[in-house]
Amino acid sequence: MPPPDRTIEEALIGWLPRQRWFAGKGREITGVEIVAGTDLTAPSGGGPLLRHTLVRVRQGDATDLYQVLLGSRRSLPDRLRYAEIVEVEGRHVYDAAHDPELTHVLLSHLATESVVGPLEFHRVPGAEIETELTSLAGTAEQTNTSLVFGESYIYKLFRRLTPGLNPDVEVNLALTEAGCAHIPRLYGWAETRLPGGPPDQRATVGMLSEYLRTASDGWQLATTSVRDLYGSAELHPEEAGGDFSAEAERLGTATATVHRDLAEAFGVREASPELLRDTAARMHEQLESACADVPELAPYADAIRAAYAELAGVGRPIRVQRVHGDYHLGQVMRTDRGWVLLDFEGEPARTLAERQAPAHPLRDVAGMLRSFEYAARFLLAGHKELAPGQTRLLEERAREWADRNRNAFCRGYAEGGGPDPGAHAVLLRAFELDKAVYEVRYEARNRPSWLHVPLGSLPHLTS
Amino acid sequence: MTDTPPAGVMPEERSTLDEQFQGDDTQAAERFGDMPADAVELTGEPIPDTFTHEKPRDPYWYKHAVFYEVLIRGFSDSNDDGTGDLRGLIQRLDYLQWLGIDCLWLLPIYQSPLRDGGYDISDYTRILTEFGDLGDFVALIDEAHARGIRVIADLVMNHTSDQHPWFQASRSDPDGPFGDFYMWSDTDDKYPDARIIFVDTEASNWTYDPVRGQYYWHRFFSHQPDLNYDNPAVQEAMLEVLRFWLDLGIDGFRLDAVPYLYAREGTNCENLPETHAYLKRVRAEVDRLYPDRVLLAEANQWPADVVEYFGDPATGGDECHMAFHFPVMPRIFMAVRREQRYPISEIMAQTPKIPENCQWGIFLRNHDELTLEMVTDEERDYMYAEYAKDPRMKANIGIRRRLAPLLDNDRNQLELFTALLLSLPGSPVIYYGDEIGMGDNIWLGDRDGVRTPMQWTPDRNAGFSKCDPARLYLPLIMDPIYGYQAVNVEAQQNNPGSLLHWTRKMIEIRKRHPVFGLGTYVELPASNPSVLAFVREYGDDRVLCVNNLSRFPQPVELDLRRFEGSTPVECMGGVQFPAVGELPYLLTLPGHGFYWFVLPPPPPERTRGDRVQERPVLPAETEEGMR
Repeated sequence: MPPPDRTIEEALIGWLPRQRWFAGKGREITGVEIVAGTDLTAPSGGGPLLRHTLVRVRQGDATDLYQVLLGSRRSLPDRLRYAEIVEVEGRHVYDAAHDPELTHVLLSHLATESVVGPLEFHRVPGAEIETELTSLAGTAEQTNTSLVFGESYIYKLFRRLTPGLNPDVEVNLALTEAGCAHIPRLYGWAETRLPGGPPDQRATVGMLSEYLRTASDGWQLATTSVRDLYGSAELHPEEAGGDFSAEAERLGTATATVHRDLAEAFGVREASPELLRDTAARMHEQLESACADVPELAPYADAIRAAYAELAGVGRPIRVQRVHGDYHLGQVMRTDRGWVLLDFEGEPARTLAERQAPAHPLRDVAGMLRSFEYAARFLLAGHKELAPGQTRLLEERAREWADRNRNAFCRGYAEGGGPDPGAHAVLLRAFELDKAVYEVRYEARNRPSWLHVPLGSLPHLTS
Repeated sequence: MTDTPPAGVMPEERSTLDEQFQGDDTQAAERFGDMPADAVELTGEPIPDTFTHEKPRDPYWYKHAVFYEVLIRGFSDSNDDGTGDLRGLIQRLDYLQWLGIDCLWLLPIYQSPLRDGGYDISDYTRILTEFGDLGDFVALIDEAHARGIRVIADLVMNHTSDQHPWFQASRSDPDGPFGDFYMWSDTDDKYPDARIIFVDTEASNWTYDPVRGQYYWHRFFSHQPDLNYDNPAVQEAMLEVLRFWLDLGIDGFRLDAVPYLYAREGTNCENLPETHAYLKRVRAEVDRLYPDRVLLAEANQWPADVVEYFGDPATGGDECHMAFHFPVMPRIFMAVRREQRYPISEIMAQTPKIPENCQWGIFLRNHDELTLEMVTDEERDYMYAEYAKDPRMKANIGIRRRLAPLLDNDRNQLELFTALLLSLPGSPVIYYGDEIGMGDNIWLGDRDGVRTPMQWTPDRNAGFSKCDPARLYLPLIMDPIYGYQAVNVEAQQNNPGSLLHWTRKMIEIRKRHPVFGLGTYVELPASNPSVLAFVREYGDDRVLCVNNLSRFPQPVELDLRRFEGSTPVECMGGVQFPAVGELPYLLTLPGHGFYWFVLPPPPPERTRGDRVQERPVLPAETEEGMR
């Protein structure tokens, strides 16, 4: 028999805050309740058991629902010690995400499209799922946990659950159907009915996609290029061995292709000029509050306001569509078949409706261009010991690198059929400034040593 | 050398010679004692198996062989006329054996007016006079075989020199036996879709011959008329040429310019089915009479197209045994320049599987370089975008440089490049002189710049020849970095830390592990884009290769779960590294560093008790059971 929930709940109070993915760190947990428990293994033969649980966590007024895979065994092998949560009634209860002997049960359920209790497993039509693979749990992620199965699949275990189809699953399904080459192949996903919710309400609990085994993310590649440039600062970026511009151009083209497929899958609509005025107003708001927090913004404020005013004055409808929503170099992977876009969840801080709301595709472009600025300047922070003249030279190189790769990305994006960034300068500039202002405020609050990154690109952006 | 067959030995005498060789190991071994004063000392190396073609021991030898490309003219001069020759090469075989070479690849050795480096053959059955004669050639074959070294040579099937008696007969006697040996036409407008390959020098693929009063077809220079393969007599004549050399004991051919044998209206006249059909016929003849010889196709094309020249996969390959994989080299260069692995990863991912008994030939440098013409298609975008826009890439790959100057004589990069050459799938071809890091002479013009005399010693003429230095076919490299006084075989043999010793050691390691030639290639997930990691696997022989393409030191986490329990052993020093567990395997590499690890099978599994007893059971399984 599985151990009683009561004891486990109490143990979770201490265990949850130590998990990277736990969103409520720093606030006291006032209650933990296991609201659903589903056995994914049969209690026979004395083998390890896998129980899928939904845990409601109360922190004062706030309530969140988390997904935890609980394993239990009579004796716990050493290699699982670190994952132990509690020992109760002669059984060890532990985080089963770390137990490859249990995780492949998820593959079996996905392969057979089981329905177990409130859980529903789905397989993408036509996909075949190999089930005898061992998994390794990733440790780097902030919000979810990823299980890599063999060299074939990655299962994204969503930790904090929200009602509705997860946008990442939604978009990947649609793009898979559209035959888009720039996403990892989707194999399946899993949902749960929510306890106490309406009978047709579901929350996505997991997504199984192709594991890009030999891929690296765009941020790593871009900083590799910047590092090479700094290593021979006498050279301009176009002369340096690590030139990234051809990659940036291909990335632009891939982005445009995905935007086109998103437009086809989710539609495009004309947004009235009113929308731009609202957008500009929100941008103004953020600017004013950021200026109050960060005095270093003041010298650029007028130029930024002027750019927002221009946006408000565009006065013609714009075409909006489903976009990535949180687009930067860390969300793209270079594979041996080209660029692949990941993580269509949108900005985690926003509501589901906000994340699904159509926007102008140049928002994504602006996000990526800001990411190039970060890549160009990120390593400057590590070069503090340099002579001032040297720092100036590296600053210059950073500027040149960012410009060269921004231009290449925009060129590739326009060539790939996206709205030409050059022909939409007012939009793009406002989007970029808005993002930069957000970054300035974020860095000032959270990482003051990084403040120079967004600030450093403002003279150029506002000139 | 003593005890070599008499000059002018004829093919029919071969069988006797071969018989002499069988069981003749002692005699062969004795011959090693007789070497030129400046040849290599054999430090107790085991004498390799000799072999005969009659009893092939390893018909797939080419799959794990190390090839060495020799320019006879530039290797060693035995008669002091300033030009290298076959006898000179024979004197250097001990060196090549010491280095660990399995097969020599000779550039054209035939009679020729030399208007195209010997690729303009005027007599298929005679050796170019300055190289020696047929007797010397047979002696070379025998001496090489005695050392376990095979010999293949370039052969041009597509065209001859306009000096060839066939062509002379064809132009002067259209109705004679050779009248139809070439592709004659009254007009110069047939096959308009065939591109002109040498656009710089040729205006058309047709040239008018005033003697015959007709145009003749040529895909290369106008002094190289294409043979007419629609004529059965030509097909037979070329088979006769092949048999001639195979009877002399040659181990195979590199077939030059194979895609162009046939022309057909409405096509680009490349890679036609008729061409493949003829190659199958050639192969069948080789298989019938000469098992264990090799045909190596030169088709300067994308791997996906080249793969056609291996023939039918169902038969294991029934055209050429080998073909060059051209894009590997510039990709390696680009990857190191970009400090990231995707240029290599991508080309490896695009390289199709080849028939079972076939093998790629790969090289870092050779006598002649690839051109951009092969990378114009859309799918080849990557190469074009990266390569054509980078001034350094264009300058250095487009023209011909040797490996060392190309890499700024950086020892770490030379080692990294060599390690990649010896570990990526395919049989490596080393260009003569690159094993000592020879330089080039860009002032000699782009072809001759990398064809200067081999640098053997710091003495006069670098030990290449005793002639008056002014008589050398090309001047020696004499600059302070790459000059023969600094870079030569003798000095590097005396220095255990030299590039030469290092290269020899690497070849030795490669030869210990057939997996490098026979194994599968699987790129590993590596956390760091500057690191290219892959596993070669052939049964229980597994080698893990980790390469840092960046000039900066790099850490990398490898997913080696598939080899859990194995204890990697570094190949150079035999040092055991920590056993592979289920967590990512962390390695740190110095700038341009690399490791080769053997991955021995894990010790017999202590069956994990809990795994067996505690197998999880799906609810569905029990339901099934209950029903």
